[in-house]
Order: sequence, then C-alpha cells, then structure tokens
Amino acid sequence: MLSMLVLPLTGALLGHLLAEALGRRVARLSIGLSLATFAISLVLLSRMLGGGPAGSLALSDHWGLLLLDPLSSLMAVVVSGISLIVHLFSRRYMAEEAGYARFFVLLDLMTATLLLMVSAGDLITLLVAWHLVGVLLYFLLGQDVRNPTASRYGSWTLLTYRIGDLPLVLAAGLLFHAYGTWSLPEIFAAMGTSPQAQVLGTPLPEVVGGLIALSAFARSAQFLVHTWLPYTMGGPTPVSALMHAGIVNAGGFLINRFAPVFVHTGDVLHWVFLMGLVTAVIGSVMMLAQHDVKKALGYSTMGQMGFMIMECGVGAFSLAVYHLIAHGVFKGTLFLGAGGVIGEARRDDGVPKDDLYTFVVERRPARQRRPWLLMAAMTLAVPAAILFVSHYLVEEGFFHHQGAVVLLFFGWITGAQLIFATYRMRTENLARLFTLILVSFTVVVLGYTLISHAFDLFLYPDPALRSGIYAAAGIQVVWFDALVVLVTVVIVLGWLFTYYAEQRRGRGRDWLAGLRRVSYRAISRELFVSDFYGRAARRMLAGAERLNIWLRWS
Amino acid sequence: MSLVLFLVAGLFLPLFPASIVFNRGLARPNGPGRRALLLILWPQLGVLLITLAPAPVPDWLAAWALATAFLYAFRAVALRDLGLWIGFLATSAWALLWLSDSTRALRHLEALGLSLPLVLLTLLGGRLETLLGAVSTRLSPGLAASAPRYGGVLVLGVLASIATPVAPGFFTLVATIAARPLGASAVVITLVWLLWTWSGARLIQGLVVGPGSGERVPDLSSSAAWAYGMALAGLGLGGIAMAEVVL
Repeated sequence: MLSMLVLPLTGALLGHLLAEALGRRVARLSIGLSLATFAISLVLLSRMLGGGPAGSLALSDHWGLLLLDPLSSLMAVVVSGISLIVHLFSRRYMAEEAGYARFFVLLDLMTATLLLMVSAGDLITLLVAWHLVGVLLYFLLGQDVRNPTASRYGSWTLLTYRIGDLPLVLAAGLLFHAYGTWSLPEIFAAMGTSPQAQVLGTPLPEVVGGLIALSAFARSAQFLVHTWLPYTMGGPTPVSALMHAGIVNAGGFLINRFAPVFVHTGDVLHWVFLMGLVTAVIGSVMMLAQHDVKKALGYSTMGQMGFMIMECGVGAFSLAVYHLIAHGVFKGTLFLGAGGVIGEARRDDGVPKDDLYTFVVERRPARQRRPWLLMAAMTLAVPAAILFVSHYLVEEGFFHHQGAVVLLFFGWITGAQLIFATYRMRTENLARLFTLILVSFTVVVLGYTLISHAFDLFLYPDPALRSGIYAAAGIQVVWFDALVVLVTVVIVLGWLFTYYAEQRRGRGRDWLAGLRRVSYRAISRELFVSDFYGRAARRMLAGAERLNIWLRWS
Repeated sequence: MSLVLFLVAGLFLPLFPASIVFNRGLARPNGPGRRALLLILWPQLGVLLITLAPAPVPDWLAAWALATAFLYAFRAVALRDLGLWIGFLATSAWALLWLSDSTRALRHLEALGLSLPLVLLTLLGGRLETLLGAVSTRLSPGLAASAPRYGGVLVLGVLASIATPVAPGFFTLVATIAARPLGASAVVITLVWLLWTWSGARLIQGLVVGPGSGERVPDLSSSAAWAYGMALAGLGLGGIAMAEVVL
C-alpha cells in the first residue's frame, strides 16, 4: 500500500531533480511510475474484491495511519486511473508549454496527495491531504505563470477550498476532544458505543456531520461555494479534466468515509439532500445558458455534483461513489476531447440540418399534441405506480430505502424525457417511441438497483451500517408521499408549461416574455453570486486598507 | 505578579496596541540579519514570560489575543509590501500562542515553528530589496518568469508562513483548535487562518505571477536555491516531527 504513495512521490522528486538532464523525457518517467501506481492499485482492489482482509499501516504513533479497505482501494483505482489518463494526454498536449517538467512534478504530487487522502486512516493525515489538494490545484491551475487571470481564478479556488477545509478542522478538533484519538477506526468504534456525546447542547454526531457536509459542499462545488468551478477553465485542459473527473468528487468520498458518523445524525442528511437538489437544478439551468463549451461543462459538473450530494442525502452513499466514478470517466473524456471538438467545429459544424437540429438548435419542435399528453400522463402514472408498489407489494424494509425510490424516479424522468425529446420529432410511430421510453425505465431501474446493490455489498459489508445509513436519511412516510406528489405536480406543470409555451411561440403574453428576459439575465449573470462575492471582497480590501492607513501601517 | 508578567508579555507576543512597537521596530531600515534575529527572539521572550506566570492566561487576555490575531490577519490582506506582510503575519501568528495549552518547551518550539518561515522570507526579501529598492506587488516583478528559482523559494516560504501542511504552523494551529474546539475561539482561529491564506495568495499573485515589469531581477544561484530548498525541506520535516509532540 505504501508503494502506491511512494511511486508518484518518487516521480515528483526525480522529475524535479533531473528536469534539466531529462528534458521532455521527464514525462516518460512520470507516466511509467503512474502506470506502476495504477497497476498496484488494481492489485489491491482485486484482492479486496476477492475477499481479502482490510488492513492498515501506521507510519507513526499519532498520525500517518493508512487504511486499506473497500472504499480506499476502489478510490485508489479511480484516482490512479484518471491520473494515468491525464499523464498520457499531457505528454503531447503540454509539449509546447513552458514549465513542462514542473507540470509533471505537480501532477505526480497531486496524485500522491489524492491517494493519501483516500487512504487516510486518521484525522491529521486526512487534514494534511485535504489541505494540500487545494494548494496543488492552485499551482496546477496557474501553470502559465505569465497569465495573471489563470492565477487569479486559481487563488479563488484556493480560497474556496480553504473555506471548505476549515469545517473539517473544526470537526477533527471536536472528535479529538470527545474521544481523545485521531484514529478514524477508533473514533467510529467509540461513537458506535456512545453516540450520545453532546456539543453545546447538540448531539456531537449532528454537529460533526454538519461540519463534514460543509467541507464536502465546498470541495464539490455546491451552490454558493460553486463559483470557482466554471471560472477555472483558464488552466490547462488536462488540469480541467483532472479537476472535474477526480478532485471535485472528493465531497462524495468524504461523506462516505464518515458514514459511521452520519448513521448517528438526525437531520443532517436531509439538509445534504436539499443542498444537492438546489445545486443540481441551478447547475443544470446555468449550463443551458452558456455559450462556451468548457464553461458549459463546468456547470454540468456542478449539476452532477449536486446529484451526487443528493444521493448521499437520501442515504444512497455507495451509489454516490458509483456516480462519482461514472462522472469522472465521462467528464474526463469530454474535457480531454473538448479542444479537438472546438477545433473540428471551427472547420465544419457537422450538424445535419434535420429535425433534431431544428429542435435543439433552432428550438422549433414538431407540433404533435398526442405524444405530449401521453408523456405527461405517464409522468403522472409512474410515480403513482412506484408509490403503490413500494408501499404495498415490496417488503416492508423497502421503506428504509426511500432515497433509492426517489432516485429511480429522477432517473426515469430524466431518461424518458431525453428519449422523448430526441425521438419524438423523428418518428411518426408512437408505439416505438413509448417502447423506447419503457425500455429506458427498465434499464434505469435494473441498472440502478443492481449497481446500487453491488456497491452497497462491497463498500458496506456490514448490514447494520447499511440499514443505519438509510434510516438516518429516511423521513416519515407521510412526508415522503407528500414530497413525491409535489415533485410529480411540479414536473407535470413543467411539461404543460413547456408545451403551451412552444405552441404559443411568438404569441406569448408580455409579462411572460418579460419574466423570461429577467430570468435569462439572472441566469446568464450566474444569479449575481460571483458579482456579490467580488463586491464583498473589494469592500473588505478597501476596509483593510483604510484601517492600515488609520493605524499608519503598523 | 501574573498580570504584570502578562502585560509585559503582551509586548513580545504582541497584543494590540503594543503590537505597534514590534511592527515599527521591524519596519526600521535594519539589515535582514537583524530582522531575522528579531523574528526569532521576540516571541521566545514572550513565551518565557507567560510561562513564568504562576496563573493561567485569563479568558479576557485570550480574547484580546484572538482579536489581535484577527485584526492583523485582516489588515494583512490589503498589504502589498513583503516586509510589512511579514510583520503583520508574525503579529497575528504569535498572538495565537496565548491560546496554546502546550508545555513551556513546546510553546517555545511552536513559536520557533511560526517564526522560521518568516525568517526565510525576510532573508529572501532583503536580497530583493537591495536590488529593487522595495519588495512590493506594485512593482509586479513577475518573479516566476524573470527569476524562477527566486519565485519558487518565495512561494514555498509564503506557503509555510500561512500554515500550509506540513509546515510546523499547520500542526500548531490544529493542536490549538483541538485544545479548545467548543468555544468561539476555534471559529475565530479558522477565520484568521483563512485570512492568512487570502493575504498569502494575493502576495504570490502580485510578486510571482505575471509577465514582469521589465526590471531585470537576477535569479538565485543554484547553490543558494539549494540552501533555501534544504531549509524549507527541513522546516517540513521539523513540522512532521513536531506533530508527534504537539498533537
């Protein structure tokens, strides 16, 4: 396990020391060691999958504990795999850039730090790695040292990450104060036996869970701490890929790592769900308003991170891990391909002028009433069926998995809507269209259920912990039913609104057009959040400067 | 007796407004060697005085120290001059030593851990000051492009000063927070830490990043860069070793 950390560190050290002697060959050295790191992580994961025992390695008395468990072994493969792809891509992509050797040194250091983070078995090691990720990302984003803009947004990222680091420091302090150890396994064991500890009249797990969630929010670009994400596109493309495919997912990892704390919380996961929901919606809406491919991808990541945090909020922790892996793979591919796509599009947009084009680009949908109404009816019928099935036909324990039901519902709506939007203008065959939609439903249900089950069994082999997580995320059945009905109503109203808006295109009422303009302005200015932060920062700087003048700079 | 010792200590582990004395003294046109000596010895005297006092630090004094740490961290955000920044950061960092629960020997060690990165920066800044007349972000020297070794060492020095892992300051701050995590003091310390990061990032942005102003800045020689690099590595190793005793 230690070799997995030592290899990229060795790469960084040798890359720095031999930079002049090796020249461009420094990339080969770095890639070779990355490959070896990936191979070791694969071996460790396969051992774990084969039923090998979890273990740990203590490098010192108080801290430096490394864990080898299902979560760390899986995350190590993700980190080292994405890092290897980014290394391979960067070899040629960065060849013309200044600071070629420095870039690979930083990449290796980042890989080592991320591996340290996922295998940290004590709070100090976790804090060290958690802090260093932000610092290294700052330097990777500012790779072009002559570009003040890239560096400014890198600083912004560093500051946001530091905002997220601090709740974790507070949580660590509270846990150490309560249990007298930095070791995570010891803390989790102690909390399991005495979860009633209080902090200022509030249960300790509630406070610690809230602080950890805040840390995860900042790392995973949740709403209000998201502004750094879309603005860091000035950095090199491989860094964007690494950031969006790996680093930003750390929030989901952190919540999973502290699962034994969250099982003792009351309302924290509900707030986590709410935050994820708001972020998913706002991120997706903002993505639609972007004209720049990379910025749109940035907001898409924000939406996906919102969905991942939502999954944690409903107790589907292991599903969030699956999500972060899947998102990492596809978003990494998109970023690494973005430059090529832009270059290709400059030569030829390659968009066929067919129905799909007129629908997506020119926003002129085919006008058919029947599919719209049928789709709306199905949207209404499916959640009702899910409710019925989950309440009366499935085992009683299914109530503990309310979150999974909500996610199935979201997944189905999204998938069905996509297929509907894509195919309805191409086909006159309604039977085929609805067969596709039903197939999508089946795929979503089966996929999510099977994957969720497999990840659950691997990451959380203890059934008590599994059900404890779902129980902590659960809400009363009445509230659950009310929420599903509310979501159904909102979706159906959305369908109807979209349909009539399209039907009355150009003949809309003035107030509606005005509302649309105001909304678009607000969304295109990113809800003025960045403006607000910028203004607040300028005022603070002016205040500090006035104070310095008043106190004569001493 | 304790109160007198504490009030005198307020000059050495500077509490506002006594902190003005230290910052004026540091800003006087002394050589970097003298400044470095001041940065090492000044807090050690303060630690000696507060550990000599028979009574523990009273809460009102701890609150005063926290307020001082916050005030100087906030003011450091607007600074453009490296020399002033070093003084403000030292004031802010040393004020936090009033909250430490460590033994006398460990407090001396913590003070040293907070001072040493600033000493390195003072020595580096003195060299640049001789060349440029001042080390200010207004000059936009773009050190990373014009003097990459110099820029690299400066960046690492700033990072160590703002308590980035694995500098000793990081472990000192974590230990201080862990010693009293329940009150408002832990939250204020984290805010102070955040402000250090902001001011440090602004300093790096102004001194290191950018195309440079055209003024030629001679880079560090290879041997000097190695010496500074080894000193920084030693600081990191010292931080790791210190973690064993302060945590």
